[in-house]
Amino acid sequence: MMNCDLAQESIVLAVYGELPDDRAHQLDQHLAQCERCRQEMDAVEGLQKAMSVVPVLEPSPSLVARARLRLDEALDAMPHGGFFLRRWQSLRRGVGRLQSAPVMASVLLLAGLGVGGWAGYHEGAQSAAKHTATAAAAPSAVPVLADLDAAQIAGVSSITREPNTENVEVRFYRMVPETAFGTLDDPQIRQLLLMGVRNAADPSVHNDSVDLLAQECRSGHECDGGPIRNALMVALRYDKDAQVRSKALVGLEPYIAMDTRVRDAILEALLKDPDPGIRSQAVSVLAPVEADSSVRDVLQTVASQDQNPHIRNVSRQYLEQVSLQ
Amino acid sequence: MPADALRFLPAARPSAPRPRLQSGMATRTAGPVRENVQETDLIREAQAGSRTAFDALVRQYDQAVLRLAMHLTGSEQDAQDIQQEAFLKAYRYLGNFRFECSFYTWIYRIVTNLCLDHLRRRKARREDQAVLIDSQGEEMDLLTNVSDDRAGANPARELDRKYLGQRIRMALEELTPRERMVFELKHYQGLRLRTIGEMLNTTEETAKNTLFRATKKLRLKLAELR
Repeated sequence: MMNCDLAQESIVLAVYGELPDDRAHQLDQHLAQCERCRQEMDAVEGLQKAMSVVPVLEPSPSLVARARLRLDEALDAMPHGGFFLRRWQSLRRGVGRLQSAPVMASVLLLAGLGVGGWAGYHEGAQSAAKHTATAAAAPSAVPVLADLDAAQIAGVSSITREPNTENVEVRFYRMVPETAFGTLDDPQIRQLLLMGVRNAADPSVHNDSVDLLAQECRSGHECDGGPIRNALMVALRYDKDAQVRSKALVGLEPYIAMDTRVRDAILEALLKDPDPGIRSQAVSVLAPVEADSSVRDVLQTVASQDQNPHIRNVSRQYLEQVSLQ
Repeated sequence: MPADALRFLPAARPSAPRPRLQSGMATRTAGPVRENVQETDLIREAQAGSRTAFDALVRQYDQAVLRLAMHLTGSEQDAQDIQQEAFLKAYRYLGNFRFECSFYTWIYRIVTNLCLDHLRRRKARREDQAVLIDSQGEEMDLLTNVSDDRAGANPARELDRKYLGQRIRMALEELTPRERMVFELKHYQGLRLRTIGEMLNTTEETAKNTLFRATKKLRLKLAELR
């Protein structure tokens, strides 16, 4: 004989057509005798009717058409799996590495300029020495500038060659030290701080810039999208200094729920960062989105594979919390 | 979601019987055997790199996917995003589909995962979005789209239905994402519990218990309305 607990579970299944025939028969018998369960049946049927007030709408033809068009375009832009998928993924990794390229490119440019300038000067000096030796009337080589320092050159603006001679006039700009003073919300100050982030030559400037920008993001001072968040993600991924990566992570934390790029950067840190402190910090900031399937997947990997037992434990605890939801 | 997330899906169980659907998939009911053969051919061609075959597969499922995502998220824009991400993933990982479950279950597994992610993110943001937003960002009045002659003839009843609709949406928002998903798939999309279990990588028994919990919560939340 069916009891009331089983009957109430059976009522929900019966209303949704999921009750096996033998259980349906038992339920009928129970309902014939039990007033409380009959009321329960009425209540569940009533709920089912009430829920139909929020109907399932068919997508409009224009929405279907728009969605198909958008998908077509996205598919056109995407290579198909297998070999192409691997090429595509390696290309994406390459683009990721390119994010750190501007610093190196600038260094190479300046070094090239310096070497080129020195070689040109050297060549000119030798050539002038020959001229002096062969023809005393020829003009002697003039040193370009006594204190020429490649690192001080901001750019070359024009080059003019004197006709029928080896002489060239080069116009260029030199960097002049300047000071700017303003609030952290000032766009120009922020621009300078972003340049400070890219300053690989002076670690203290670099660290302070990341720290200040992270604090700005942390306190919610307009760092939605754009260059500041990008700079913090680059710092989290590529900075050699664990303290700087930690600061960047703190700055990114408020955006973890809304920005999937931020979430992916933090997941990457959780999987790959060599410093256990950063990985531990990454696990703790992932708490608000721990139930997201990508986060769950990474937590599962970390829970089983991380070298650090504390991180494995914390990941497991988060996963257990999720499974209880 | 990282591109390789699908690799974490466990091996699929054998195919369930084709679920009964309320609407949208009705075109797939005629001649199921021949249709399955045709679909298998399409999948194999798509796996071999045919875009035309993949497009044909998309057209079989995209309306149903949009309908589910729209009802769950309450937003045309979000529904479009989920539809696009789901089919891009399907395209990327079609080579991993081994016919161990139906293609229907496979594609819905991708879609339900994306919808669950969306619901969880929304819960994390504590966003209270009890109205449907169309692609222009305007609020859509769901209830004006319901064909109900009695309500149309009686403004007071229409107002009651509006209020009830809002209360129901709020009650649905308070379910956990998993309860919301199981209730959606069962109550609104009319799928079998066994299929729902397969889609959510769980057992029929767990899906049944989740449905039971969801109806209990909804009844408590909506008790004073009856």
